[in-house]
Amino acid sequence: MKQKYCKDLWLCLHFQQLPVEIFTREQTEKPVVVGMKQRIVHMNHVASEAGIRIGSSVDAAYILASNLIYFERNEEKELETLKNLAQWAYQFTPNVSIRAPASLQLDINSSLKLFDGIGNIKTKIHQGLERLGYSAALGLHQTPLAALVAAKTGNSVLLETPVNELDIEQHIIDGLHRMGIHSLTDVLDLPQGGLARRFGASFIDYLQRLMGEKADPQQFISEQPKFSSEITFLSDVTNLESLVFPIRRLLKELCDFLIARQLKINHFTFRLAHRGHSPRSFSIHLAEPESDAAMFLLLSQLQLEKINDVQEVDSLTLSANRFFPTTSLSGDLFHGTRFQQKDGRTTSLADLENSNRLFNVLRARLGPDACFGLAEANDHRPEKAWKTVSQNAQGKRQEVSSNENARPMFLLPKPRRLRLHDGHLWFNGALQVLQGPERIDYGWWDYNICRDYFVARHSTSGLYWVFQDQRQQWFLHGIFS
Amino acid sequence: MGDLESLMKKSGLWRASSIDCEFRQGLPSGFPLLDNHLPGSGWPVDGVTELLHDQYGIGELRLLSPALARLSQEQSRRILLVSPPFIPYPPALQACGVDLSTLLIVQPKSDQDILWVLEQALGSKSCSAVLAWPQTILDKQIRRLQIASKEGNTWNILFRKTNVRSSPAELRIHLSAGNAPLSFHSAINVKILKRRGGWESTTFRVDFDDNLNQQTPDFSELFVNPPVNNNETKILQRPVALPSFPATAG
Repeated sequence: MKQKYCKDLWLCLHFQQLPVEIFTREQTEKPVVVGMKQRIVHMNHVASEAGIRIGSSVDAAYILASNLIYFERNEEKELETLKNLAQWAYQFTPNVSIRAPASLQLDINSSLKLFDGIGNIKTKIHQGLERLGYSAALGLHQTPLAALVAAKTGNSVLLETPVNELDIEQHIIDGLHRMGIHSLTDVLDLPQGGLARRFGASFIDYLQRLMGEKADPQQFISEQPKFSSEITFLSDVTNLESLVFPIRRLLKELCDFLIARQLKINHFTFRLAHRGHSPRSFSIHLAEPESDAAMFLLLSQLQLEKINDVQEVDSLTLSANRFFPTTSLSGDLFHGTRFQQKDGRTTSLADLENSNRLFNVLRARLGPDACFGLAEANDHRPEKAWKTVSQNAQGKRQEVSSNENARPMFLLPKPRRLRLHDGHLWFNGALQVLQGPERIDYGWWDYNICRDYFVARHSTSGLYWVFQDQRQQWFLHGIFS
Repeated sequence: MGDLESLMKKSGLWRASSIDCEFRQGLPSGFPLLDNHLPGSGWPVDGVTELLHDQYGIGELRLLSPALARLSQEQSRRILLVSPPFIPYPPALQACGVDLSTLLIVQPKSDQDILWVLEQALGSKSCSAVLAWPQTILDKQIRRLQIASKEGNTWNILFRKTNVRSSPAELRIHLSAGNAPLSFHSAINVKILKRRGGWESTTFRVDFDDNLNQQTPDFSELFVNPPVNNNETKILQRPVALPSFPATAG
């Protein structure tokens, strides 16, 4: 037999338990079954130990195990999960293809060197899947189809495979059985022409692709531009603090996703859902794009503490959809030591990291508006001569404007009306006008002000910035603190 | 006296005032007189400093501004202002030389949050100075801030009312208005209540390098016969002979 396409090495991940595992990512000791039309089609091992069999009715299963948890089969979600798993497997090779309903095929020939052998890859996949809460049978072979067969049967010798394990239609299997043919070797011994006449060309095509006589092009997944992962809880979670563990798992998953693609994010969203209530979402915004799981967890916890209007949760989803490429910042040989920047400041990368970290933490707890920087604005009106900036860029120095007139350290958010007492300007005591006026007449396009500003001294000698408007009313506008 | 000197050399005694001072160089305050009174000849670079004052507008921020300007220019670490009572006015800060890009304002909603912010900021090592105007703060909370600020190498300044008799803060300074009617400069009265290696100081006056306290010619007629008009409008139309403003030096 000619084997043309045998230089490849394919690893197949077969998720036998996927219909159940999409619901039971959390470990459970309860029997869980998945059914269609009141007939059980899949179950976890606890259920099978209880004596429940595939094909039996749900009622019968409830009699065997009263604490049974039943889910209707959700093939849409299975496919969705399989796609996510394919994205996860992307960290091992760029060539991942999905084979519905429950398998992934990885072309790992080119990754062997990177991971230093197939053994390492297998170990990493097993460990990774365990963390994610899934289990898969692994099969390794030279063609995608053979790898799938190996994963399903757990048998590394392809030729001994029984025909009923092959990925072919049931009537062909029956036909082969009637002919007294039970293993793949027997099939291959038969003349191909006869088989084609009896079972159709598609069967021969399958055999050729299985044995590597014919090319078997795969459609590889493309990079998914978004991340989304969901955990379903078997029983309702009423204590939000206990969500920390599933959150940690989801964030770990997110970070694996980011690291595999060399990406960072500055925004991600959690969604707490319950079948009986409308879902509640909360988002985490970061000052700078990051890919640090510990940081994400800290911020998520801070946000979680603030939520008090959610009583029950039965599923938790993490999603992120805006990504930034990692700037490949090479490690600092003298990490943590201070060095002089071009503008004469001493700084270190650690400072910058700490600063971003602080900013993120403050915003997570206090809300995005509670924390801001200041900048000068180009306007002569005192209340418009400044502005808040969301986060001031480090190291960007502003030109010092040269205003020779005195300006107070504190500005009142709103000018405060002052009265006259006995011919004195009065604010908790008499004010004595010292300097002025400085006339500010500006802003016809917006709202015009025409004010005369003075420096005034309080009787106990605090200094204030006051003005008189055109209606001769006096206001306090600033404090020379 | 000679005996005392030799005794001190021999027996390993030392004066309390010399503890730390040589080793912990302070941050120059910009006011030589104040530097002389402060341990380490300047503001501390970490620990809690309490500024006690009852009135705004006596120069409590201007007293700090040279040091803050220096910190903002020399370090890329942040200067945090936590719940300031009014808007810290950027044009004035800029004029003092404070680099606005290092400044960060935080406005927590509750006292509890203020303390949380302080502890986070002090411990984060990413701030050179943290200024806060807490409403109420307990001694044990100040002790925690003291530890956090030492750990984070951050100077923490708390503005408090003068009725606080004692506190665990490392440096406590009482501030009161010091503008003398006849002085050209504005000034502030400073009394150090507590410092390392020294006793309570006497009250001394620190002069600012400005001309805020300078009086331009008589404004008294502005307020004679208040509500009506003739006088006031006349004054405002009159070209007032202003002494030219010297550019704010320093």
